[in-house]
Amino acid sequence: MANYLVRRFILVFVMAFVVSLASFVLLYSAPGGPLEQLVALQSTTRRPDPDEIERIMKRYDLDLNLFVRYLRWLTGHPRGPIVIGGQEVFGDLQVGCLKEGQARLVYPDGRVVEINCAKPVFLRDLADRPTGNGVIRLDFGRSQQLAREQPVIELIESRLGNTLLLMGLSTFFAIALSIPIGIYSAVKQYSRFDYFFTTLTFFGSGMPTLFTGVMGILVFALLFQRLGLPYLPAGLVESNRDAVVPLLGTIKAGSFADRLWHLILPVAVLTFFNLAGWTRFIRSSMLEVLRQDYVRTARAKGVVERLVILKHALRNALIPFVTLLAGVLPTLFGGAIITESVFNWSGIGRLFINALVASDYPVAIAYVLISTFLTLIGFILSDVLYTVVDPRIRLS
Amino acid sequence: MATTSVPLTKPTAPVLAGARSESQWAIVLRRFRKHRMAMISLGALMVVFLASLLAPVLAPFPRDATGLAPRFSPPLTAYNGQMHWLGTDHVGRDFFTRLLYAARITLSISFFAATLATLIGMTLGALAGYFRGLVDSIVMRILEFMASIPDFPILLIVASILASRPESLPIPRFVLDAMGALMLLSPVGNERAQVVVIIVVLTAFGWISAARLMRGMVLSVRERDFIEATRALGASNARIILRHVVPNAFPPLVVSYTLSLAGALTAETALSFLGIGITDPTPTWGNMLQFATNFMLTDPWVPLIPGLPVVIASLAFNFIGDGLRDALDPRLKM
Repeated sequence: MANYLVRRFILVFVMAFVVSLASFVLLYSAPGGPLEQLVALQSTTRRPDPDEIERIMKRYDLDLNLFVRYLRWLTGHPRGPIVIGGQEVFGDLQVGCLKEGQARLVYPDGRVVEINCAKPVFLRDLADRPTGNGVIRLDFGRSQQLAREQPVIELIESRLGNTLLLMGLSTFFAIALSIPIGIYSAVKQYSRFDYFFTTLTFFGSGMPTLFTGVMGILVFALLFQRLGLPYLPAGLVESNRDAVVPLLGTIKAGSFADRLWHLILPVAVLTFFNLAGWTRFIRSSMLEVLRQDYVRTARAKGVVERLVILKHALRNALIPFVTLLAGVLPTLFGGAIITESVFNWSGIGRLFINALVASDYPVAIAYVLISTFLTLIGFILSDVLYTVVDPRIRLS
Repeated sequence: MATTSVPLTKPTAPVLAGARSESQWAIVLRRFRKHRMAMISLGALMVVFLASLLAPVLAPFPRDATGLAPRFSPPLTAYNGQMHWLGTDHVGRDFFTRLLYAARITLSISFFAATLATLIGMTLGALAGYFRGLVDSIVMRILEFMASIPDFPILLIVASILASRPESLPIPRFVLDAMGALMLLSPVGNERAQVVVIIVVLTAFGWISAARLMRGMVLSVRERDFIEATRALGASNARIILRHVVPNAFPPLVVSYTLSLAGALTAETALSFLGIGITDPTPTWGNMLQFATNFMLTDPWVPLIPGLPVVIASLAFNFIGDGLRDALDPRLKM
């Protein structure tokens, strides 16, 4: 078990590394890159002069080779020439290019080299550059566009809780509802209850969260408010000012009740979406288990029906459900992006979208890395949980 | 022994012949017709499809024309003798017209993305499952990798890069022309390239499920005796795969194809809604919905106009998939 966990954790880091490298290369090697936006945002004049552009390129490491840039982003190194015993080594190594063109380099020892770069950047030049601590020390750099110069980790930290709350609550409710509904549908197969929920869950899985979210706002926020019924807020995490709601009274801005009030609609939308698939899953899994011989044996020896269902059948039916839950994490992150955008929910999903639209790459990459990391940890958790539900399985 | 209490029906020849001549697909069709929701869905989709096909005929206005009617006119506003059936949008363009053109664009994108993804997934899955070895381990690693990371954010990254600079993807001229003609896009600007880029991105991330399904099916089919027999008869690998393995793996693939149509449709809508896919002058249900939600506090009926078609199409594909699943499953009595 310990052996297994160690191996899996190593794999997590390797995969997170691959994903971060992929998104880094994708974002920064795209033509144009963040430079245009940065120049537009940072320069004071309409037509920035070359010096201005060079300053911005230096500031954001945009002049460095992709590989060196990635290394600096990941580890915070290299920060300058390597010094061994008071002697600079590799100081002349070219690590980037400020300006395209041709240049002749004359080295102190008399060598002359032609290079395809008008203004080369050497390892030595990195010494007087501000450098972060690197992602491995949880320094994701600074935001370039959304919140200028604010550390990315702060942006993420302030929003991660909101996203996890949304995902956690909706998963909890979806499990808490899908298991009893699934059991009842299976036990009373083809009953009116079964038909009703099978149809309902079908609609749930077929309707995009985008639409259920918008419809939820239309009906429960706008329509209810106009009709004078107790309505729900149309979005945001908490209100800006106190709200007076019919029957519920005044809800103070920023209070616990206010946050709860804002949670209802987005959580319901995400729950409805997950509920659909899961109820079906539990139902079919229960139906299969209920046909097994040991269930018939249990009934034959006179075990009460309730115990047959809850102890003999349900426990076995839940085993595949645990794997399903792990596989759902990537989807959950995707679903949260859309739900957060619809509800203006200040979570990391919406932060990611805003970062993408504004070309704020450090923020976008940090999101991808963190969501990948959390997902992979979720997989390990579910593996461990699997051994708990099914003692026949041993992790090795 | 000779006595039997079961009243025998006269075995008449025509019935027997009829039963024998009923092909497998005829049986599936007959069973599918019994699925009421699937048939309704098929009808609804046909209406949407026909409407989008006849977009230039049915649409009362040019696609991007801002008329004289004020913005956000409610449905059934007649202005200057011309009827805005569904009102006008946030810059005064006719909603009905844009809805029709958007249907054409959105449905075409879903069709191409789902079809290409299924074909690629089928091919790779079949090769991996049949030949095992190196191809299999590469495909399997990719499948495992994609299953264990949140792939939607990465899809968004790729889409955002490519959709904002569609010229960075080398797209053959004839593809652009064909897509432009099909979706009635203007050859000016990068409207056509953007649409092709979205198809490419959705395909690149969509083949995974088809490949996994196909590989699993092939793995189970290839060990069966009739494959062995076919090989003993001297059939080539290509013949075995195309004539024996693929047809046996076909039923679940048809279902998954229908569902991936729904998946591509919602993915495209989500992309455009988030402002990362196809951008404004080109209408899609997704970006129309995005603008509509911006104004829904004052005009709450607006999101329904692009929203309902999305839901109808998505549900319809799901219901048809469900109907096909039932119709293709021989164990199920209907």
